[in-house]
Amino acid sequence: MDVFLTALQSVFDPLNLLLLFVATLGGITIGAIPGLTVTMAIALAVPLTLWMDTTSSMMLLLGLYGSGIYGGSVSACLINAPGTPAAAATGLDGYAMAKRGKPLKALRIALWASVCGGVFSIVLLVLIAPQLADFALRFGPAEIAALLVFALTLIAVLSGGSMLKGLFAAALGMLLATVGADPMLSIPRFTFDFNELFDGFAFIPVLIGLFAIAELFEQAENRFRTGTELIDISGGDPKANRITRKEVRACTVPVLRSSALGSFVGMLPGLGASVAAFLAYAETKRTSKSPERFGKGTAEGVASAESANNAVTGSAMIPMLALAIPGDPPTAILLGALMIQGVTTGPMIFVSNPDVVYTIYIVLFVALVFMTVIASVALKPISQVLRIPKSILFPIVLVMCVAGSFAIRGNVFDVYVMLGAGVLGYVLRMFGIPVAPLLISFILTGPFEESLRQALIGSEGSLLVFLEKPIAAFFLLLALVMVASTIWRERKSGALKLPQAN
Amino acid sequence: MKLFKYMAILAFATVALFTGPAAAWEPTKPIKIIVGFSPGGGTDIVARTLLAASQEFFPVPLVVVNKPGAGGTLAADFVSKAKPDGYTLLVAGGSESTSVPNHRKVNYKIEEFVGVIRLIRSRIFIAVRADSDIKSIDDLKAKAKANPGKLSYGTSGQGSILHSAMLLLAKDLDVDLRHVPYKGGAPAMAALLGGHLDITMVGGPEEAQAHLAAGKIRLLALTSDSRFPGFKDVPTLQEVGVDVYVDNMKGLVAPKGTPPEVVTYLHDNFKKGLDSKVWEKLAAKLKLETGYLSGEDFSAAMQSMSGSIGKAVKGL
Repeated sequence: MDVFLTALQSVFDPLNLLLLFVATLGGITIGAIPGLTVTMAIALAVPLTLWMDTTSSMMLLLGLYGSGIYGGSVSACLINAPGTPAAAATGLDGYAMAKRGKPLKALRIALWASVCGGVFSIVLLVLIAPQLADFALRFGPAEIAALLVFALTLIAVLSGGSMLKGLFAAALGMLLATVGADPMLSIPRFTFDFNELFDGFAFIPVLIGLFAIAELFEQAENRFRTGTELIDISGGDPKANRITRKEVRACTVPVLRSSALGSFVGMLPGLGASVAAFLAYAETKRTSKSPERFGKGTAEGVASAESANNAVTGSAMIPMLALAIPGDPPTAILLGALMIQGVTTGPMIFVSNPDVVYTIYIVLFVALVFMTVIASVALKPISQVLRIPKSILFPIVLVMCVAGSFAIRGNVFDVYVMLGAGVLGYVLRMFGIPVAPLLISFILTGPFEESLRQALIGSEGSLLVFLEKPIAAFFLLLALVMVASTIWRERKSGALKLPQAN
Repeated sequence: MKLFKYMAILAFATVALFTGPAAAWEPTKPIKIIVGFSPGGGTDIVARTLLAASQEFFPVPLVVVNKPGAGGTLAADFVSKAKPDGYTLLVAGGSESTSVPNHRKVNYKIEEFVGVIRLIRSRIFIAVRADSDIKSIDDLKAKAKANPGKLSYGTSGQGSILHSAMLLLAKDLDVDLRHVPYKGGAPAMAALLGGHLDITMVGGPEEAQAHLAAGKIRLLALTSDSRFPGFKDVPTLQEVGVDVYVDNMKGLVAPKGTPPEVVTYLHDNFKKGLDSKVWEKLAAKLKLETGYLSGEDFSAAMQSMSGSIGKAVKGL
C-alpha cells in the first residue's frame, strides 16, 4: 500500500501532470495527422526521457500512446483520412455519419468508446496480467494462423450487398498483400526490381489513398459542389449531435464485446490495433439485427471499432510487463524506455519494481481522464474544419496526405503508392465494390502467411498440426461454422447471385 | 582478419604518402546521418546517442534521417550512391553490411563504403528454455546429430546476422537445423518461451536479461570473441571448440571515394563524442557496449565477417 501511495504521489506532482497534459494533447494531434503515427511520436520522445526520472518518462510516453490511437479517429471521421491505421475501421461509419451532418456525434461516440475500451483493458492489466500473459504464450504459429482463418471469414460479413463483389475485393486485398519479400525466405514477389517494394506496400499510404484520395477524386468529379452537400454543423438542431439514450443502449453490448476482443488481440504478438478494430467492427455487424445500416453511419460501427483499437493499448502492455515481450511496435519502444530507467520488465517486475508497475497503472488511468477532458473541449472547434469550403479543404488534405505518405519512410515512392491506391479506391467506388473487405484481407494476409508457414516448417509440411493443437482446431471449427451459416443464410436470401443489371 | 588489417593500413599509408599532408577540411553544411531502420530501433538509438554526444564538436548541425525498409538495405543503397563529400553518412556494420548481401541480391557492395569509426558492438547469444535437455553446445550437437533436421531455431529474419551466425555454427558442428524466421527478436523469444521453438538466437544481452532473471531461459554460448561482462558464466563459441566469430557492430561509414582528410576529420570529431562524458552516461543507461575501432579497422572487420558468412551461406 505504501508503494502505491508513493507512486500516486509522484504521479500527482504538478510538473508531471503538466507533462502528461502536454503529451496527451500532442498525442491526439499527432494521431489526427495522417502519416504521423503513434509509434513515430513515442520513438522520437524517447531521447527526451534520458534526462527524466521513471515517473516522468512514463507520463510522457504513455500520454502519447493512448491518446495517439484515439486521435486517429478524428481525421478518419472528419475528412475520411485515417490518422492512424487503427482508425480506418472507425472511419467506415464515422465519416458516413459526419457526411450526414453529425460530425460531432461521430467524434463523441469515438471518444467515449475509446475511453471504455481503454478502461476495460487497463482493468484486465491490473487484475490478471500474469495469467493472461501465460495464456498468450500458448498462441504459437499454428494457433495464430487458425485464429486468422477465422478472422478472414468475417470478410463475408463486411461484403455488404453483393457477396461476389466482397470476395473480389478480398482477393484483391490478398493479392496486394503478397507484394514484397516472402516472409520466410525473403524472395521478392511482384516487386519488378523496385527495392522500395521489398517490404510490400506500406500500410499508411495505401490507407490514405483508398480513403482520402478516392474521396477527393469523387468530390472533384462533383466539382466540390457545396449547396445541399455542405455539412451544416452550427445551425440546425444542436440536439442532433448529442448521443441519444437509444444509441447508448444499442452500443453497450458491442462496446463490451469489442473491448474484450481488442484486449485479446492486443495480447498476441504481431497483430495490433488495426486487426482488432476490423475484427470488432465485423463481429458487431455480424451480430447486429440490422447489418444493412453499417457503413452508412451507425453508432455501433464507430463505437465497436474505436473501443477495440483502444483496448489494444492496455492489453499490449500485458505481455510487455509480465513477459518482457511487447505486443506491438509502440510497446516495444516503451520496453526500451523502461530499460533506460534501469527497470527490467518480465515476471520479476511485480516483485522487484512494484512502484513502477503501480506508476504505469495510475498513469494509464490519469491519461485517459486527460484525454477525455481535452477531447471534450476541443471536439467542437475541431469539427468546424468541415465548414471550410471543400474547394479549399480538400487541396489542404491532399498536401497533408502527400507529406504524410512521404514521412513514413522518407521515401517519394510511397507518395506514388498513395496516389495509385487513390485511383484504385476511386475505380472500386465506381463499380460499387466495398473497400472494407479489401482492407481487412490486406491487413490479415501478411500475418496469416507468416504464421501459416512458420507452423508448416515446424510440422514438416503436415497440415495435421492445425487439428492436433486444441486451440487451433477450435478456431478452425469456428471458421467452418461461420462459413456454413453464411452460405445457408445467403442461399435463403439469394444474395449469392450476381446483382441484376439495370 | 589480420591480413586484411595490414593490407588496409598499408593501402592507407600508401595513399597518405602520395597525397602528402592534406589541407584541413571543415564542414560548411549540415551532416546527415542516415539510419536504415525506424525511429526507436537499436540502430536509431545508436545514431541519436552519438548525435547527443558529438554535436558540440562540430561547427555544423548533425541530423539523423530515418530511411527504413528492406532490412536496412534501402538506406545502404542510398548512401552508397550519395556524393562522397562527407555530408552523407550511414550507420552500418550490422545485418545490412555483413549478412544480407550474402543471402540475396542488393544494389551495393560492402566495398563501396569506407569506414569512419566503429562505435559499439552487440553480442549474439544462443538461447534455449531453462527446462530444455540441451545444456551445452555439445548437447546441441549430440541432439541435432541424433535428430537431423528436427531441431528448430528462431531468428529475427531470413538473412539477418542472427540467421548467419547460426548457419556458421551449424556448419562448424556439421548438423542440420530447421530455421523459422520471425519478424524481429521479440516474437522469436515469445515462441521459444511458449514451447514452439527449440532454440532462439538472441540479438543482445538486453533481450535476454529479463528471461534469465526469471529463470525461464538458458544461454548456451555467445558468438563473440570474448565473454560478455554482464553474463560472465556464458562461454564463447571459440572456448567450446567452435571456430565461429560474429558480432553485430554499429559504426559510421561514408561512400567510397570520400577524401581521406574528410574521413579523418569526421573520425577525430566523432571519436571526441565517443570519449565524452555524455556518451559514457547515455551508453550506460541504454546498455550500449562501446567498441571503438578506427575507420580502417572497422572496414576490415566488416569485410572479414562478411567473407566468412559468405562462405557459410554458399556452402549450403
